[in-house]
Amino acid sequence: MDLAITNRCNLRCKYCSHFTSAADVVQDLPKEEWLHFFEELNRCAVMSVTLEGGEPFCREDLRELIQGIVANRMRFSILSNGTLITDEMAAFVSSTGRCDGLQVSIDGSNPMTHDTFRGEGNFIRAMEGIKSLQRHGVPVDVRVTVHKQNVKDLDEVARLLLEELGLPGFSTNAASYMGLCRQNAELVQLTVEERSLAMNTLLRLHKKYNERLSAAAGPLAEGIGWLKMEQARREGRERMSGRGYLTGCSGPMSNMAVRADGVMVPCTQISHIELGRINKDDLKEVWQNHSELRKLRERHNIPLSDFEFCRGCHYINYCTGNCPALAYTIVGEENHPSPDACLKRFLEAGGRLPDEKNLRLASS
Amino acid sequence: MESGVEKTMPDSRNPKANPLAVLREEFDNWAMLFDPESGNTFGLNPVGVFIWKHLDGLHTTEEILKELRKKYENIPEKAEDHLKDFIQTLIKQGLAGHETQKT
Repeated sequence: MDLAITNRCNLRCKYCSHFTSAADVVQDLPKEEWLHFFEELNRCAVMSVTLEGGEPFCREDLRELIQGIVANRMRFSILSNGTLITDEMAAFVSSTGRCDGLQVSIDGSNPMTHDTFRGEGNFIRAMEGIKSLQRHGVPVDVRVTVHKQNVKDLDEVARLLLEELGLPGFSTNAASYMGLCRQNAELVQLTVEERSLAMNTLLRLHKKYNERLSAAAGPLAEGIGWLKMEQARREGRERMSGRGYLTGCSGPMSNMAVRADGVMVPCTQISHIELGRINKDDLKEVWQNHSELRKLRERHNIPLSDFEFCRGCHYINYCTGNCPALAYTIVGEENHPSPDACLKRFLEAGGRLPDEKNLRLASS
Repeated sequence: MESGVEKTMPDSRNPKANPLAVLREEFDNWAMLFDPESGNTFGLNPVGVFIWKHLDGLHTTEEILKELRKKYENIPEKAEDHLKDFIQTLIKQGLAGHETQKT
């Protein structure tokens, strides 16, 4: 489960998907509510939780919340901007033996690039946070969000993270049209040409560093996914397995989320779909029987051919329709193909697929 | 009488599930056994789940075998060996131990 344990954050990154979205709620829950909920998670045999926000390290009682997770037989991960991670907290996280990873956001190889959209001084603070975590043996994940200001810095970012810091790998995404990014889109989001550059660069780096880059979405995932779709089209294959329907998201099959105000939602990115309230509605009942979750889980039965948007597309039988949250933010409907993930429209707008020789077998 | 859980095993002591291990039952009577300390997860078939639920420190291995014979048909001849192997595997993975008594 993804738990937004706070709405507070010490930063206001220009492309943050959280602030101004439906997940941006007025008030945090008191510690006691979370601890009580962890007991229900234990009864339901939930094995791990991801703590996010806002910025989890803004919570003064984070230590107690983590102790509650441990006492209830779970493991945890944390998503963080890295700027508030003290050596003492890193030592504490390590001492639990239950942390699967602490993800820190790094957007550049140098302060100027990183701080452009994250605020002055935050590159240095985030790097110090990473070094504290490494000193105490906490597994460090880094997420690089690709945008206009760092798309030409990606080689140096990879060198910093994989060679200088010696991380086993890092993940990438692009700034998506959600939250604060919606009002800063022109400043932040990649043009078609920049997107093509990002795809090519990341795929080349993916090969250079022996697949140590990963992505579930964004230019690297698109580069790999779209190249395979183009290959399938060229080969005249009738269909790619599991494609041609809205199969882009399997999240609702295995995951749920809770907003900072205690409202249960399918995913933090579609926080407008309210499923119930923790400590009031039965988690097991919501998970197994809520009609909105059922609707999301049945998306895979909706053929792309049902949509005017997909009419006449040569890639229709190789496409998944991608992320329902992006579909919602752009067209107002979760059960719709995401316009942002449309290969046909990308190519029509002048986009270029990356060099195929950099494509290794899928592992992102 | 104090009790604790040890990982070594003479047969006379009752096997007991590690209270930290999480049994997550699925719809088809199979289950996952999750060790939060290591992050390891194991699959249990319905017979494994049945045995796991009897690792309460109150049943000897022989008693668990007797319960198995009551519940299931066509129990193989070597069932006792299989049961002991299964319990020993759980112990090796840190998922079970033996209830001891203070002398």
